[in-house]
Amino acid sequence: MEALNVFIKAAFIENLVLAYFLGMCSYLAVSKSVKTAFGLGLAVIFVLGITMPINWIINEYLLSEDGLIGMDLTFLRFILFIAVIASMVQLVEMVIEKASPSLYTSLGIFLPLITVNCAILGGSLFMVSRDYTFGNSVAFGLGGGFGWFLAIIAIAAIREKIRYSNVPPGLRGLGMAFILTGLMGMAFMSLMGIDPAALAAGVN
Amino acid sequence: MSTTTQEVKQVEKEPLFGKKERRLITDPLNDNNPITVQILGICSALAVTSLVYPSVVMAIAVIFVTAFSNLTTSLLRNYIPKSVRMIVQLIIIATLVTVVELMLKYFNYPIYKQLSVYIGLIITNCIVMGRLEAFAMANKPWRSFLDGIGNGLGYGLILIIVGVVREIFGKGTLFAGSPLEMKLIGNTSEFFINTTDSTLFGWYSNNNLMVLPAAAMFVIGIIIWIQRSRNTKLVDIS
Amino acid sequence: MENNRYVIIFILVLTCTVAVLLTFIREATKDQAALNEDIFNKRSILSAIEVNLDKKVSEFSDEEVVNIFNDKFEQVVLDANGQVIEGVKAENIDMAKEKKKPEAERSLPLYIYRNGENVNYILSVRGNGLWDEIWGNIALGEDLNTVVGAAFDHKGETPGLGAEIKDNPTFSRNFQGKEILASDGDFVSILVKKGGAEPGNVHQVDGISGATITSNGVTDMLYNGIKSYQPYLETLRGKAQQGMLQQQ
Repeated sequence: MEALNVFIKAAFIENLVLAYFLGMCSYLAVSKSVKTAFGLGLAVIFVLGITMPINWIINEYLLSEDGLIGMDLTFLRFILFIAVIASMVQLVEMVIEKASPSLYTSLGIFLPLITVNCAILGGSLFMVSRDYTFGNSVAFGLGGGFGWFLAIIAIAAIREKIRYSNVPPGLRGLGMAFILTGLMGMAFMSLMGIDPAALAAGVN
Repeated sequence: MSTTTQEVKQVEKEPLFGKKERRLITDPLNDNNPITVQILGICSALAVTSLVYPSVVMAIAVIFVTAFSNLTTSLLRNYIPKSVRMIVQLIIIATLVTVVELMLKYFNYPIYKQLSVYIGLIITNCIVMGRLEAFAMANKPWRSFLDGIGNGLGYGLILIIVGVVREIFGKGTLFAGSPLEMKLIGNTSEFFINTTDSTLFGWYSNNNLMVLPAAAMFVIGIIIWIQRSRNTKLVDIS
Repeated sequence: MENNRYVIIFILVLTCTVAVLLTFIREATKDQAALNEDIFNKRSILSAIEVNLDKKVSEFSDEEVVNIFNDKFEQVVLDANGQVIEGVKAENIDMAKEKKKPEAERSLPLYIYRNGENVNYILSVRGNGLWDEIWGNIALGEDLNTVVGAAFDHKGETPGLGAEIKDNPTFSRNFQGKEILASDGDFVSILVKKGGAEPGNVHQVDGISGATITSNGVTDMLYNGIKSYQPYLETLRGKAQQGMLQQQ
């Protein structure tokens, strides 16, 4: 039950892109068409969902003072987390290349960029600072990925439409994308007061 | 940029600070700005810019990391095995970021607390990785180092502009939290009990929108707009 | 293709160099970092009694902070029943860890500040805001009822809204002079009231507009936090009363 709360919270209320603005680079760069956005969004869900539990295990059993080594190694956290993320991304890259060459070519250089997608590392760092349990960290990974997926699809759809509007030349493309994201972020802020626990219990 | 004074000193060693080298630093400030043109490294730009002081610290940290990761990668570029180059680059970056984190803890704990996870997120700041891939892997150490500094500066410039705008309109202060703290506009009694700074526009009440992360998006959007209106070759055709 | 052996050796050498380098830097900076953290926490305790100090907390140097703590502070640790736990200093209690324990097993840090006639009791409280944890220190005056000052902090409240509990000095200043006990001596705590406190009500302070959940979080945190100190505070109050009776 608690895991479900964490999922809902991560996907909507504390959306990684729209509330924390994590993973903006690929979010802005790959959101020109819904089709590629869809592929990248799926890849992010997958990578987040898989790295979060692995990093949880590493943090709990390798780095913490009561872990297997028995030393406070938390200063090595960044390096180990990013190594896990990089190898997972490489794995996803290989899988996509085999499964769907067309998606692979359209994602182009952005696939390796998932590694440097702040949302992935940010998710792991949030997980540590919030002391999630193992179950919750899985839920947070999937929820956060899903929220990211939703956000990129939404902005891609808007950007596809806005191409037909008469935007001032200087604002076309990137500038407009920034302002749109700001507006979406404000819209998502209205979800902030929702208490998932109360929602589940049917209390208002 | 005050490269001119340095240039005079190094005039004999021409290639050290020639025209090309200077461009490495000045280009990213405008024509090839990492944030507004290359679209790299935006996450942290938004999260820490509600105040100027953290923005400045963040900018310095990023300049340090871009410069030295570019230098290290460039030194190692002929030895790094192609198949694992991403991981190698990330290890280098992560190491430098850890150094930054330890240094902040050592020298200025309060600001370390304030920046918290965003220090770690420098690792995934695409500027760093992007410059390693695009520049340091193919260029000599000195030039890569300059390229790193230039891109760090270009990034820091936008960060600080956004920070200044957000802090003045959001809180009416500048450099809050640092020894230079001052109250610029708005009602003085609201924040500092015994401030001696004279403030303008006493009627101004703080705009809470500017403190929200969304405001950073608007400010950057507008910076891009201004930049592209002045420099039409950057306009997006699509 | 490079051969695998080279790749593995390269990675190994790199990782080892990096690990050694970082361990070295960390060992060199560890003590100072721990000291900084300590002083940072001490400053936040001092800011709760800022009104009784001769200058602003931010103007004290690090040594002065340590000296004030050595000279004028008594540190007590209490268990959940209000008994003093001997041999532990309050500054070694990690509130974040205590919050996770069941209530009956928690230890409570209590700082007692003595400056001449002046005695202040500083309680540490911790609770949940909108996004994440919030915490604070509440200083009570000699009567163990009137609030002398308060300082709050948070992990990740919304800037400009919930984060105002820390950023806006007016919020914590409003706590000064408020009372935690009703006139008959029952514990009522202090309510952070949405829409503004009733004028003259000593048990209410103004809430932060737009940050209802954080405001409620502060209310709950104060109620639960101060309540757990109540058993010990009651014994202190009892002693004080007996003392007064004897004097009469």
